[in-house]
Amino acid sequence: MIDRSYKELLKLKRFPHTWCPGCGIGAVLKNVAISLRELGWNDRNTTVVSGIGCSGRMAGYMNLDAVHTPHGRALTAAEAIKTVRPDLNVVVLSGDGDLGAIGGNHLLHTSRRNPNITVFCNDNEIYGLTGGQAGPTTPKGTKTITSPRGEIFQPLRLGRILTTQAPYFYARTTVYHLNHFKACIREALFWKGFSFVDIISDCIELNGRRLGFKTAHQMFKWFDERFHIVEGVRDHLKDDELGIAKREVEAEVKAEMEVEKEPKVLIEGLKLFTLEELKHFDGTDGKPIYIGYKGKVYDISTSPLFQGEKRMRCHIAGKDLTRDIEIAPHGEDLVYHFPMVGKLKVKAEAEK
Amino acid sequence: MKPRLNVIWNEIYCKRCILCVEVCPVGILSLEMDEIVEKPGCIRCYQCERYCPDIAIEVMDEGEKSS
Ligand SMILES: Cc1ncc(C[n+]2csc(CCOP(=O)(O)OP(=O)(O)O)c2C)c(N)n1
Ligand code: SF4
Ligand code: SF4
Ligand code: SF4
Ligand SMILES: [Mg+2]
Repeated sequence: MIDRSYKELLKLKRFPHTWCPGCGIGAVLKNVAISLRELGWNDRNTTVVSGIGCSGRMAGYMNLDAVHTPHGRALTAAEAIKTVRPDLNVVVLSGDGDLGAIGGNHLLHTSRRNPNITVFCNDNEIYGLTGGQAGPTTPKGTKTITSPRGEIFQPLRLGRILTTQAPYFYARTTVYHLNHFKACIREALFWKGFSFVDIISDCIELNGRRLGFKTAHQMFKWFDERFHIVEGVRDHLKDDELGIAKREVEAEVKAEMEVEKEPKVLIEGLKLFTLEELKHFDGTDGKPIYIGYKGKVYDISTSPLFQGEKRMRCHIAGKDLTRDIEIAPHGEDLVYHFPMVGKLKVKAEAEK
Repeated sequence: MKPRLNVIWNEIYCKRCILCVEVCPVGILSLEMDEIVEKPGCIRCYQCERYCPDIAIEVMDEGEKSS
């Protein structure tokens, strides 16, 4: 059985959606929804922002607070939201033309300021909505409605532009390489800072057909010929590589930040909890919600995420979350906001 | 509509892009008379469901199968 709860994040009432048969945007929308759902990002903690274009319709199909901005301005709105509401997860869903052409200036400067937002760019290498004109990412030589003898200019290489100064996170994937695609979405959502996922996608109607493809699947096979997956983390990706290029801030600066983040222990002689005892504090019957993290126990009962009905279904209550939090976005900062109520007996100690 | 063996198809969401037909590794799906038709032999690999951009095809849960 597979988990289909991601559908709660979609406005199914508005389906079938507006995109052409086989258009890759539907796949982007769906897989982003699946990943958001897996991470527990929902209408209480997440906002999506789109620009204009076929891809720009994505935010409007999500059951989340959504902003549909003027053409090219998705990042300006997203950065503003993140600035005034740092507690919200901000996700941008837009197209290559919107983000790379008219919004190109914002892309440069938003990435430079490195706000903690994630951008999913449906990169169909064309202006889809307006009829299939050559755009900034159209490969040289491609026949489009505005370049019937082949595009004469070099494309903008987003992968190079966005990996010039650390910190950065740039991933390239395609709607065909589904597992890779999902892995890139997740990694990008986990990344603390500006992350950009360049999703090579098909505009079958207004680009693919002109290039001689009859179905979306034929275009997928063409993606498979043009690109190959590279394993591991790179500093940069070559133009035909699918993978993740990321770099953190310089090492010394990071070490300093880590030290500051450790919370001060205020209470001496904290109560010692075993994992069994911790399980008891799961938020049911008016009990507080405790979680374990790095050997300490925190009381997260006051978190707005776990009020009302959600309190009863809080699946993380009473557990040691050290591993989960380390990989979650803003995990640590969140925990340290809550009062520390005890120490956790780790296994080895408990056995003594 | 033809009876369903392993997959449920939503004819309102479906746009007949035939992606499901083309990704099915055992080739048991086809578009006939504007309908996605399923022949016996599904190996429940979920490829059709994973690739459908319109959320229009789903593999039945074991319990729902009409066998
Ligand atoms: C200020 C402004 N200029 C031009 C347009 C026309 N326009 C609408 S969508 C679009 C291109 C969108 O391309 P992309 O972001 O790649 O989206 P796609 O349709 O390919 O998904 C353009 C030029 C507009 N709406 N507003
Ligand atoms: S015009 Fe292209 S990008 Fe727009 S919905 Fe159709 S296939 Fe998708
Ligand atoms: S992939 Fe989905 S939309 Fe396309 S033909 Fe199959 S069921 Fe219909
Ligand atoms: S689950 Fe797999 S075998 Fe069954 S119809 Fe879908 S793609 Fe074909
Ligand atoms: Mg485009």
